[in-house]
Amino acid sequence: MSESHAVAVTDAPLVCVSGVSKTFRQRGRTVHALREVDLQIGRGEFVSLLGPSGCGKSTLLRIIGGLHQASTGTVSVNGLDADAARAAKQYGLVPQSPALVPWRTVAQNVRFLTGLHRGGASHPVMTDAEIDGLLEAVGLAGFTSAYPHELSGGMQQRASLVRAFALGAPILLMDEPFAALDEITRADMRYLLLDLWSRIGTTVVFVTHSVTEAAILSDRVVVMAARPGRIAAERTIDLPRPRNPAMEDAPEFHEVVRFLRSDLREHHG
Amino acid sequence: MSVGSTFSMSSAAMLPGPDAPSSDSPDGTEVANGLANVRRIVLMSAPVVGVIAFFLIWQFGVKIFDIQKFVLPRPSDILSSINGDKSYYVRNARTTLWEAFCGFAIAFVLAMIGATVMAHSRFIERASMPLVVLVQVTPIIAYAPAIVIWQGFGLKSILVMTSLVCFVPFLINGVAGMRSVDPNLIELARSVDASRREVFVRLRLPSALPNLFSAARIAVGLALIGAVLGEIYAGSVSGLGYSIKLAQARPTLRMQLWGSIYVLAFIGAAATILISTVERFVLHWHSSQRR
Ligand SMILES: Nc1ncnc2c1ncn2[C@@H]1O[C@H](COP(=O)(O)OP(=O)(O)OP(=O)(O)O)[C@@H](O)[C@H]1O
Ligand SMILES: [Mg+2]
Repeated sequence: MSESHAVAVTDAPLVCVSGVSKTFRQRGRTVHALREVDLQIGRGEFVSLLGPSGCGKSTLLRIIGGLHQASTGTVSVNGLDADAARAAKQYGLVPQSPALVPWRTVAQNVRFLTGLHRGGASHPVMTDAEIDGLLEAVGLAGFTSAYPHELSGGMQQRASLVRAFALGAPILLMDEPFAALDEITRADMRYLLLDLWSRIGTTVVFVTHSVTEAAILSDRVVVMAARPGRIAAERTIDLPRPRNPAMEDAPEFHEVVRFLRSDLREHHG
Repeated sequence: MSVGSTFSMSSAAMLPGPDAPSSDSPDGTEVANGLANVRRIVLMSAPVVGVIAFFLIWQFGVKIFDIQKFVLPRPSDILSSINGDKSYYVRNARTTLWEAFCGFAIAFVLAMIGATVMAHSRFIERASMPLVVLVQVTPIIAYAPAIVIWQGFGLKSILVMTSLVCFVPFLINGVAGMRSVDPNLIELARSVDASRREVFVRLRLPSALPNLFSAARIAVGLALIGAVLGEIYAGSVSGLGYSIKLAQARPTLRMQLWGSIYVLAFIGAAATILISTVERFVLHWHSSQRR
């Protein structure tokens, strides 16, 4: 854990997933998307869910966010169940596609979710000035009146990040937000995300199937395996913060990547 | 149900096909830019060229093949006959335009109410689809007399026919549009616990706009069909449909038949252009408006 990181990870976990299983019925067959998942996430922690396609990463993320109902088991967030936490506006979501509103400008898009009904919110959203500050930080200050179709994919995804951070929500849920970007843009986006996160200090649950990405970003990596979807291993990433691209050449970094790879391989197939 | 696609003719289909060369050519020499501009202007004028060519062929075809004026008059004769009786055509066009407009507007309002209900309830949507399809596939000409018997001669019957034919495209496109919202956006709204009403107003209604514009372009033609048909069946004493009915019965009024057709075509074309212009302005964000 680094000292530069503003929000300390306290002992009481913010998110507590216990005994969660999820089955889907697909054309008469039962699919075990998740079986007996236990996971605790601390306040201000950056946790990645890493695993092969179909191992239930998105499903787990959605269950934490109250977007899917667990078949068995419980999720508690700040002492609330996931649905109540959703009603209390505890979550900011960053989907894989930027999903900006096509008929709204960038400035309107990043405020789109903050503008939706705020009854029951347990915390204030960011002020206009704070949101403008985020746009500045991600390099979109000159594009506030542009429409999504006028932006590159990377710029759209940056707007999508700002939209989530603007909610001021304690937990950000990100489902492979950079998967559709090219390798160069993706590398930039990782450090941009870390920059935003270190300014604001929320908790992030980040789904990825990139080992490098998980190693660069996370305090802790939860390695998942498929059929049935489950947690195979957990690794704390002790690399110092703030992290920077030069770190990716360091032997410690390669060490972390090697561990994660072997965890993945061990439980695959 | 795949009925939605029946009416979702996109405006892109009406635009010239091959990609127009982009104006920012990489090496940016003035000659290349000039050439690109010329090609763009040629492409943009293509629709006008097509229309003019059609009328020229008609004009000279009648002469070359020596077709009798009684069978097929030349466009120039039709235009000059309209010009010679302007007030007559203006008066009757106004009647028909009013009927078509009212039917169009009534259909739009009712269809939006219907689409809203259907977008909120799968059951109601599924329950009403068969009826909607029935209305769509039964020829209006077949039940027009029944409407007159039910509603009596006059404007009421005409409006029932006009709004009935316009209703289905608005309804089907409205429902399809309201359901066409990016599921990621719906999930985002759900993640902050947005209410159904907010999702409807902020996401579903605006998403339906492209479909509604497509519907409007189709409904223009249908509204004119409804109005003309209504005038023919429901005992009107004015309007372009009435004028056509009279002309059909009297050989001496043959030019009036063609004059009324021309004015109807003009009204339809003008309304379509108007809608497309508004569409380009309102839907600047939508992919159908990009070239
Ligand atoms: N809504 C659903 N209905 C039926 N089955 C589903 C549904 N959502 C997920 N599943 C199934 O659950 C399993 C886990 O899916 P999930 O999307 O969580 O995987 P993932 O780890 O996110 O994969 P990817 O990396 O490809 O996104 C898969 O077998 C999938 O087919
Ligand atoms: Mg997924």
